Amino acid sequence: MRRVFTPRKREPVTALDGVSLSIPAGEVHGLLGPNGAGKTTLVKILSTVLLPTSGRALVCGHDVVAATKSVRPLIGIVFGGERGLYTRLSARQNLEYWGALYRLSGVQIKERSAALLERVGLTDRADQRVEEFSRGMKQRLHLARGLMGDARVLFLDEPTTGMDPLAAREFRTLIGELKGEGRTILLTTHDMVEAETVCDRVSLIDRGRILATETPRSLGTLISRFQRIDVEGAPPELLAAIERTPGVSSVSLQPDGSTRVEVNEEGATGTVLRLLVDAGVTSVRTSLPGLEEVYVQVIGERGLTI
Amino acid sequence: MRAFLAGARIQLAFFRAYPDALIPFFTAPMFSVIFQLIFHHAGRTDLTGYAAIAPVFIALWWMALFNSGWTITIERWNGTIELLVAAPASFAAVIFGRITTTTLAGVVSFGETWVIARLFGTTVTIEHAWEFVATIVVTLAAMAGTAVAMASLFVLARNAVTFSNSASFPFYVLGGILVPVSLLPAWIRPVSSIVFLSWSADLLRAGLRPAPIHHFAFRLGMVGLLGACGLGLGMYAMRVILTRVRGSGELGTT
Repeated sequence: MRRVFTPRKREPVTALDGVSLSIPAGEVHGLLGPNGAGKTTLVKILSTVLLPTSGRALVCGHDVVAATKSVRPLIGIVFGGERGLYTRLSARQNLEYWGALYRLSGVQIKERSAALLERVGLTDRADQRVEEFSRGMKQRLHLARGLMGDARVLFLDEPTTGMDPLAAREFRTLIGELKGEGRTILLTTHDMVEAETVCDRVSLIDRGRILATETPRSLGTLISRFQRIDVEGAPPELLAAIERTPGVSSVSLQPDGSTRVEVNEEGATGTVLRLLVDAGVTSVRTSLPGLEEVYVQVIGERGLTI
Repeated sequence: MRAFLAGARIQLAFFRAYPDALIPFFTAPMFSVIFQLIFHHAGRTDLTGYAAIAPVFIALWWMALFNSGWTITIERWNGTIELLVAAPASFAAVIFGRITTTTLAGVVSFGETWVIARLFGTTVTIEHAWEFVATIVVTLAAMAGTAVAMASLFVLARNAVTFSNSASFPFYVLGGILVPVSLLPAWIRPVSSIVFLSWSADLLRAGLRPAPIHHFAFRLGMVGLLGACGLGLGMYAMRVILTRVRGSGELGTT
């Protein structure tokens, strides 16, 4: 799928460029990428509010362009941040309104809004204006709103943006519960911890392209050639020999007195380990990079540049 | 129908949350005072009907038109317009429900305007009660229908409020709300005849005069027909425009 924006008097911007992605039912799928990577554009297309320039997307087998009426009752959308709620109305009024828009009966609206308010811990604040809520409370209400239609597929677009760590952790617990109910969730985020914690699989996206789709752990092994070896007690001449070994990118002294060897070629780790063991150095520890390091390695360090 | 009712219910809640939507309840009496002063000063008590009807139309039109623009703008600012479009309910039906509720609320200005007239020593007498009531009912429906057509344009326009503000006075003139259409330049009259306000205002004023109302059914039918055309056009335009802004990516752009 491809999506190009053509702003007036400006060069066209390619937001999605040949995206191909399949998410099985019941999976929590993370879409991980920097600002401007195309995450929200993809969510908007899947939720029928934006048309792709070319290609097609299916939600539960229904085309998001040709069969919007079939797609809309199946999906729930949760945006992060302050927007997306009627802040001068109460939490209950917000939910009841969205319930009506999802064509629920009066009884269903009352029951489901009460149940969801209870579930997200807002029962005591149900009749309070949303503008008086904290960011975390608003975000929980966002999620409740997205669930009013009992969506089989949930799009969570950076849902924990701006939340404090405790609120974000509670929110992730809720996502886990939703997964347990068999819902399919597409979660966009640039929070590595969030992706590692809640996602079954993660797609790295940048400049409108999917760079890799793996489980959070196997995404780490994707760049295992960037593995690190921490060594203690290695003599300087051995470290010099290791530094000359093909595939070793750096040998550096760490603050704790150990030495870190970084490799950038597949197989180099084995060569280094053999050199160390042959020299009688056994205080060795290898480690896989975390998702954050994967993110930096694959997407690159570009600072604030979009 | 459920979407329409959902829109109507939420609008009632919005009246409490955003009381600025009810500004015409304050401006209608002021317009009424102005018109009464003008006609009394000119010694034209025969134009009482104009003074009694004009502020009501201004209030109703303002509520319908301004609110259709304001509704779209607020949805954009709230970041809810994309969620609304992605909901299973018809977006146009929800907006129609909201606008209809607002327009119905505008009926209050009838009472206000006529109380002001009474203060000026003028009693507004309805000579043809059933025709008058029927005209009001059809006018309100036509008003809401036409406002949906406006709302579809506001989805396209980024600054809907400015547009809705500037679009009100041309319709007051074309609708012959205060100045009879017969006094307007000849080239404007055909344009005026496709504005339901002109038919409606004429009928309401005729309802206040003792003389029989000629061709009542036809004239009322024109109000209904033009209103239905506005609604039909609005629903169609909304669908086309929503597809367009979904294509351009400007649906949620503020």
